[in-house]
Amino acid sequence: MTGSFSRGRRYVLLLLFLCGFGLVLSRLVTLQVLQAADLSAKADRQHQKTVSLEGARGTIVDRHGKLLAKNVEVRSVFGVPNAVENPVKTARQLSPILHVRADELERKLRQNRSFVWLARKLDPEQGRRLDLLSIDGIGVVMEGRRFYPKGPLLAHVLGFSGMDGEGLEGIEHRYESYLHGEKQTMVLQRDGKGRTVFPKGMTERGPTPGHGLTLTIDEVIQSLAERELEDAVGRAQAKSGTMIVLDPKSGAVLAMAVSPRFDPNAVSALGPDRWRNRALTDAYEPGSTMKTMMAAAAIEERVVRPNTMVFGEHGHMTVANTVIHDHERLGWVSFAQVIQKSSNIGAAKTGMALGEQRLYRYLQAFGFGQRTEIDLPGEGVGLVRNPKDWGRRSVASISMGQEIGVTPLQMVSAVASIANGGVLMKPYVVSEIRDADGHILRRISPQVKRRVISPETARSVTKILEGVITDGTGTKAAIHGFRVAGKTGTAQKIDPRTGTYSATRFVASFTGYVPADSPQLAMIVVIDEPQGDAWGGAVAAPVFSRVGEQVLSYLGVPSNEPVTLAMALRKS
Amino acid sequence: MKTFTVFVGLCLVFVFVWERVDMVRVGYQIERLKRDKTMLERQRDELRVKFSTLSASDRIAKLATEKLGMSPPQQGQIIVVQSRPRNVRPSSDVVPVELKVARNYLPTGRL
Repeated sequence: MTGSFSRGRRYVLLLLFLCGFGLVLSRLVTLQVLQAADLSAKADRQHQKTVSLEGARGTIVDRHGKLLAKNVEVRSVFGVPNAVENPVKTARQLSPILHVRADELERKLRQNRSFVWLARKLDPEQGRRLDLLSIDGIGVVMEGRRFYPKGPLLAHVLGFSGMDGEGLEGIEHRYESYLHGEKQTMVLQRDGKGRTVFPKGMTERGPTPGHGLTLTIDEVIQSLAERELEDAVGRAQAKSGTMIVLDPKSGAVLAMAVSPRFDPNAVSALGPDRWRNRALTDAYEPGSTMKTMMAAAAIEERVVRPNTMVFGEHGHMTVANTVIHDHERLGWVSFAQVIQKSSNIGAAKTGMALGEQRLYRYLQAFGFGQRTEIDLPGEGVGLVRNPKDWGRRSVASISMGQEIGVTPLQMVSAVASIANGGVLMKPYVVSEIRDADGHILRRISPQVKRRVISPETARSVTKILEGVITDGTGTKAAIHGFRVAGKTGTAQKIDPRTGTYSATRFVASFTGYVPADSPQLAMIVVIDEPQGDAWGGAVAAPVFSRVGEQVLSYLGVPSNEPVTLAMALRKS
Repeated sequence: MKTFTVFVGLCLVFVFVWERVDMVRVGYQIERLKRDKTMLERQRDELRVKFSTLSASDRIAKLATEKLGMSPPQQGQIIVVQSRPRNVRPSSDVVPVELKVARNYLPTGRL
């Protein structure tokens, strides 16, 4: 009896164990087989964290390595409205730090959403003040913000990037593919407290930052150009102004200034009209500065020589039933004097002697009517019509800079080609592309486009242009101790209401190079709609002189008339 | 022999566990250092931008003119002079030493 009871109890126990094991087994099957995928994913979510990181946008520096644009990680603030206990109090606390109105913040915090941006990309100082607060339902994420530490300096060339870090204008846009960093998604392991752990075998590689750019621009020259241009535009009460400084030997742009300026750190309130780079987008009728190219073509084609005598018609000449005027009643003058005195009649006569086809060929050779291919976006082509569309007066008009549209960049490139012995260079603003460690990935070399005129012709034209400064219309472009070659231009603008040339609206310009015998700088100054004395020689030439003198001194260029210390003391 | 085998086995288990624990500890350490590095890099970037802002030519020129009463040299005030030792004759081989002197500030007496 006892034996059968014991056996019975053993069976019961065995049964209970079996049931227990059966339950455990069935649970295991449920967890490990039937719900394996869901539970595995749930576990991953709990101990793994997926973060999306974006590599910092590349920096932009000038030719001496001075910082012009850089990304800095700053704080962006978001709210989780459901988790905010007191939206009114929270809004009042955040308002003075975020510089956003309290009622606006409160409205956002009352929205029925799980996430709202309250303010993005705060200044570092704002971020530090925010760190002192700890409010439930308010969070902070780090985002890259583009800083332009020099403010408005070079803004039209640099452009700017948008809120999400993409380049929208200027170099930022043109070199977007190099500048932007690569996004990378990383899976991090974390413990029960949410701390990140890197288990064995997991390699951590951060996102790849964008490449850096080194510009040909010199911050000091750019600053001088912008300051003098702003002063000139202000003094003349002009609509706008443009100045470009080129190295004629290489085509490297040393400065490109546009007035009025804007601050790329705060572009939201401005429109495209303000940030457009007029130096390469806007075409204008160049007026007398075009006589430089006409003279080069005529001398190259042996139509004239500098000492060829031209009759000035005493200031009036009829061409195709229209009268061409000169501001001086000239009689017989040499061709050199035609350019120095800026005679429209002399230029028209020479142009007509050159002929349509040859004039058109040289306009194209100097780069008019086509892009210079500078590495900046939005470049215009200007306006050069085909000779078959020219009227009876067109040759005369184009020879004195009418019926043709050029950009300031085209004009200074063409003049720089004369300074460079007749060889046209491609202008450029980026000289090097570097990786994040500073290693050079690509070096951009000066690029020859073509030879336009012979060195002999270039020398002849230079001599004529020197006369413009010493005896002609450009005396105010003179630089003490240096030989300057250049040409003034004063062009009437078309009145949009009447379709004829306006008597009150002008474009005043001056373009040239210095030192004339060994050019280091080719420059153009264009002032749009100056008031009062609107002549290029009066408004634009002084800017050329002031910038030229300071830049030559800054670059340490020896003067053409070296003086000893004793002479300098005597002079003083 | 049996005791020795058990001892070795326990040692191996201990080493394995110690390695795992130490790896996690080092992982935390790396993470903390990474955060420090990020903070320092952020500070460095902010300082670079600040330095660049403060050293801008525009700003320095403005301070010089408005606070220090300086003015840019006017036309003809910058004279580039050649300095040549007295006992050396002018020659194309001699490299001139360039000095920039603003005329207003040339001393009246001996240099």
